[in-house]
Amino acid sequence: MAKGGFWVEHLINLKINGEPYKVSLKPNTTLLDFLRDEIGLTGTKKGCDTGQCGACTVLLDGKPINSCLVLAADANGKEILTVEGLGRNGKLHPLQEAFIQEGAVQCGYCTSGMLLSAKALLDEDPDPGEEEVKKAIAGNLCRCTGYVRIVKAVLVAARKMGG
Amino acid sequence: MSEYSTVGKAIPRIDALEKVTGQAIYGDDLKFPNMLYAKALRSEYGHAKILNINIEKAKRLAGVKAVITGMDTPFLGGEALMDYPFLAIDKVRYVGEAIAAVAAVDERTAEEAIELIDAEYDPLPPLLDVQKAMEPGAPLIHEEMHTYQHLPVIKPIENTNICHFIQFLKGDVNRGFDESDFVFEDTFTTQMVQHGAIEPHMAIVQVDPSGKITVWVTNDSPHRLRQDLSSSLRMPLNKLRVISPPYVGGNFGGKGGLKVETLCIPLALRADHKPVKMVLTREEVFTSSLVRHPSIVTLRTGVKKDGRIWAREAKVIYDTGAYAEKGPTVCHQACVAAVGPYKIPNAKVDGYCVYTNKPIAGAYRGYGIPQVAWAHESQMDIIARQLGIDRVEIRLKNGVEEGDVSPTGQQRLNSVGLKECIKKVAESADWSRPKEKYRGKGIACAFKNTKTPSGSSAIVIVSQDGSVEVLASTVEIGQGSKTILAQMVAEELGVPVENVIMANPDTDITPFDASTTSSRSTFHMGNAVKRAVKDAKDQILVIAADILNADSSDLMIERGLIFSKKNPDKKLTISQVIKNEYKAGLDIIGRDSFYPVADGETGGMWSAPSIFWMYGAHYAEVEVDVETGRVKILKVIGAHDVGKAINPFTCLGQIEGGMVHGIGPALFEEMIIGEKGQVENTSFLDYKMPRALDIPEISSLIVEAHHREGPWGAKGIGEMTVVPMAAAIANAIDDAVGVRIKDLPITPDKILRALKEKGNL
Amino acid sequence: MLTKLREFHYLEPSTLSEALSLLDRYDGKAKILAGGTDLIIQMKQKKLTPEYVINLKKISELDYIEYNGQWLRIGPLVTHSMVANSPIIQKNFPMLVDACLAIGVPQTRNRGTLAGNLCNASPSADTPPALIALDAKLKMESSDGERVMDVEDFFSGPFGTVLKNREMLTEIKIPSLSEWSGGAYLWVPKITAVDETLVGVGVLITLNPDKRCKEARIGLGSVGPAPIRAYKTEEFLKGKRIEPDLFVEAGEIAVSEASPRSREDYRREMIKVFVKRALGQALRKIEGAI
Repeated sequence: MAKGGFWVEHLINLKINGEPYKVSLKPNTTLLDFLRDEIGLTGTKKGCDTGQCGACTVLLDGKPINSCLVLAADANGKEILTVEGLGRNGKLHPLQEAFIQEGAVQCGYCTSGMLLSAKALLDEDPDPGEEEVKKAIAGNLCRCTGYVRIVKAVLVAARKMGG
Repeated sequence: MSEYSTVGKAIPRIDALEKVTGQAIYGDDLKFPNMLYAKALRSEYGHAKILNINIEKAKRLAGVKAVITGMDTPFLGGEALMDYPFLAIDKVRYVGEAIAAVAAVDERTAEEAIELIDAEYDPLPPLLDVQKAMEPGAPLIHEEMHTYQHLPVIKPIENTNICHFIQFLKGDVNRGFDESDFVFEDTFTTQMVQHGAIEPHMAIVQVDPSGKITVWVTNDSPHRLRQDLSSSLRMPLNKLRVISPPYVGGNFGGKGGLKVETLCIPLALRADHKPVKMVLTREEVFTSSLVRHPSIVTLRTGVKKDGRIWAREAKVIYDTGAYAEKGPTVCHQACVAAVGPYKIPNAKVDGYCVYTNKPIAGAYRGYGIPQVAWAHESQMDIIARQLGIDRVEIRLKNGVEEGDVSPTGQQRLNSVGLKECIKKVAESADWSRPKEKYRGKGIACAFKNTKTPSGSSAIVIVSQDGSVEVLASTVEIGQGSKTILAQMVAEELGVPVENVIMANPDTDITPFDASTTSSRSTFHMGNAVKRAVKDAKDQILVIAADILNADSSDLMIERGLIFSKKNPDKKLTISQVIKNEYKAGLDIIGRDSFYPVADGETGGMWSAPSIFWMYGAHYAEVEVDVETGRVKILKVIGAHDVGKAINPFTCLGQIEGGMVHGIGPALFEEMIIGEKGQVENTSFLDYKMPRALDIPEISSLIVEAHHREGPWGAKGIGEMTVVPMAAAIANAIDDAVGVRIKDLPITPDKILRALKEKGNL
Repeated sequence: MLTKLREFHYLEPSTLSEALSLLDRYDGKAKILAGGTDLIIQMKQKKLTPEYVINLKKISELDYIEYNGQWLRIGPLVTHSMVANSPIIQKNFPMLVDACLAIGVPQTRNRGTLAGNLCNASPSADTPPALIALDAKLKMESSDGERVMDVEDFFSGPFGTVLKNREMLTEIKIPSLSEWSGGAYLWVPKITAVDETLVGVGVLITLNPDKRCKEARIGLGSVGPAPIRAYKTEEFLKGKRIEPDLFVEAGEIAVSEASPRSREDYRREMIKVFVKRALGQALRKIEGAI
């Protein structure tokens, strides 16, 4: 591939956790690397970089996606929610509280992705059953917990949120 | 007995808040100024001589700071056997072995540089079949094996690919078979699987102007790594510093031993004091980190007609891949447990650890025991069926009890919760419920040892204001060690858990700990911190006694308040005591170590007796679709003897997680090896780990068979929780449709084929 | 595998004709980016190294699901999630919903498009067998014009389609179901519940008023180099009275039309079982509606 020409940077505008950002970047940057390396939000994790483990899950316009398979440039004009944006002004989201109280966290590497997949579920379906929760986190791999307490935590949070 | 204030309580983990807010720092989150990024070039051959590696073009690429090959890194490492070159030197022995590495200003440049390196090989036939590799006259994978340094307990067989052979004898098996009413012989196999921790391996290495090397690394044993590096690099310990990132994203044994730092260190030595970072891709984790030993276990068992095991002979073959790593000690430890947790008067175990040209096998949750438990628990059901004895009854009849001699004869057992585990699980499962069509129930039990001896030291600093900091090198890999150690410190000192901070493992600061492996931390580090706290407490109480004008032996600390039993109304805080004594400022430092040796016959370090054994039993209930062979696991129940649950929350989490982890290799997981020795499925797309939709109804139970030397009676739990699951499932499938699968994984293909052969369709 | 993608030029046309003229200009050197779940992985795996990446997502005219009672038309930016959540498709073409939900990872469903998945042409894709059963048509456009073909003719082999470099798949069209029709999409995963498909079966049967089979359409996935239309099985079912053994026999004939290349014995068994089961489920749908 020819390396003679220069590679154009693109100016993108997006919102991350409610904050507006205006950034110039090369298109060959994934959203995951952009969030972690450029913005410094390291709560979103890289587990496989090929969209299988879900550790890189963020919400893009409210929908859970694997940020390792989205180009940062493609997030232009979008709203991104990462785990760092879940709580508000130091107050934890009910999901975060439930994960702590129900013992749904062990090594923690899958936790960010799990929380966001769960949030997207509860935003759409405030009163899910166990099966719906498992389907919502089907794209998030966990090797430590066996999923039991994660599912329970989501259901507890749902009840608390008035579902 | 007074009720404990925090030990035994299910308090939420102290690291959970950081983790749910995305603030917890893991290895890949670490970034330093002027950091360089490293990538490796890896062998595409499973067995080949390296003829030439041309790095000139790579060196000239703008942004490349260092390029190395094995010629630049003539270092050998390896805990059991020093056979592992930092970079392949004259030969590659597995597909994925690193032959060159590059450090550059960014990852893109490093990857480009790797593509500019040309390597020429002279391929040799790869040895992929472990039984062929064992045959006399087989080509040698390690021609220089006889020159390698090794632990005294390891016994390689010269001129073969067998890097360790171990034999345990008890009684006389041949006479035992003669005296038996029935003799059974079965062979069981397990496949290559991987740990699957969601966080990949990483390391950052920096060399300072004095030549001191600092390694930030996701490793389960900072001090052991430091020792390994000291041996390999021939450097004194205090010129090496290993720091664990605050959190590690899962381990399961895969992050122990020499890994990524073997590439980063030689690069860092050429990088002008800049830090060099390397993170493995998921593909590299599959090919070039560690796997679980594939195994062949042949069990010959003689029984009396009433179901008592009279003699048992086990031949255990572990396929350890291209390098020994922990293979020999895995083989060794597992062979001690190979005949099962049973009263067996005559036993013989022959264990072989064999090289092949495949990915390196090493420590994996259970340390070789899942494989032997797969065999002994599957066979137990075969025996029970043949004799017409209930499968729970036969295990209770043979199971070891308090004070029994261990099955391979080296020690007397104490703290034995085996039968309670079996009974609890059977009761919870309603074992005598009648059988339904296509549904089946299975049970399996096992035991696991811990490496003995091993040592842990701890330092406890009680500050002026009564807050406490603990210096301990146990790594928080997700198992909850930070929380339970803090609970133990809080309990022993008599302060709230919130007052206790656990420092980050750092070999310059936190004292020696053998490892965060072998399910040993609760017991060993727990005892170490308990003793260190007692040391601090004694010092505090001596000062307090003086202030209170009392006898220090009458003093107690409760909720951070010190008072005499004889005069409880006069209370002092710990802070008041320290400030009173040291008005210009000082801390109280408590320190101690714990280095237990088990009673019993030893053949040297780690040869056999274990300071504690963990026991557990699993139940599985399945439904088999006889048209498709697919197995639906309806329910699993696990009961584990932990001695004492310091935190029931974290114990239950380990049992649930362990059982689901155990379902993986039983039904889903298998690393497929191609004809060159390459791993075919190097992604989570093709390597199937259990997901949320795969889990059954799960029930976990804690059994507490108090251990007289454990902190508050506690032992360990982490590894035991995966061990019995595969056999429980196989036993349930046999119960459901009369099909016995002896090789893992149990696939629908195998079940359907077996059903057809039985004529069951 | 690459940790960092190789550099490329990134283009964001705002109309379809702009996109097509870019495909012309960079003939063979450009790749379309819709959801990206296939493209970006393949770029990381070094299987694809496009100099130009054309992002379609600014072209809002390509994002539609429309049903006028005769034809369901789906645009190329429609994701599998959008299909699964569409009330129109849930009501009128539920088997297509099932096929989309067979992609078990929600994050992938939320990005991956129906069109992109077809163009990637993985032999184990789930929607092709369902689309074959539904008699779907695919529209391909270039700056020269457009052509329409039956979905079963679109695939040329593993990861291969008849789409030319300068062409883009711009619409998936499905005719409404006739009276007394019922369909089903069933699949058996390779191993776990959330997994690629080992055998995928899409069926649509239409009955005559006398309850004989008027017509059957059967699509099979992951049992050959490309998705298969089981013509012989369809022919066998035509005109027959519905009896318990009919579907069993249909399953056996379907096996002869497939050519699985791995786990062959097991896949053949599963074709038998799942064609039988899918036909049974489709029949129950019709019976339930009568």
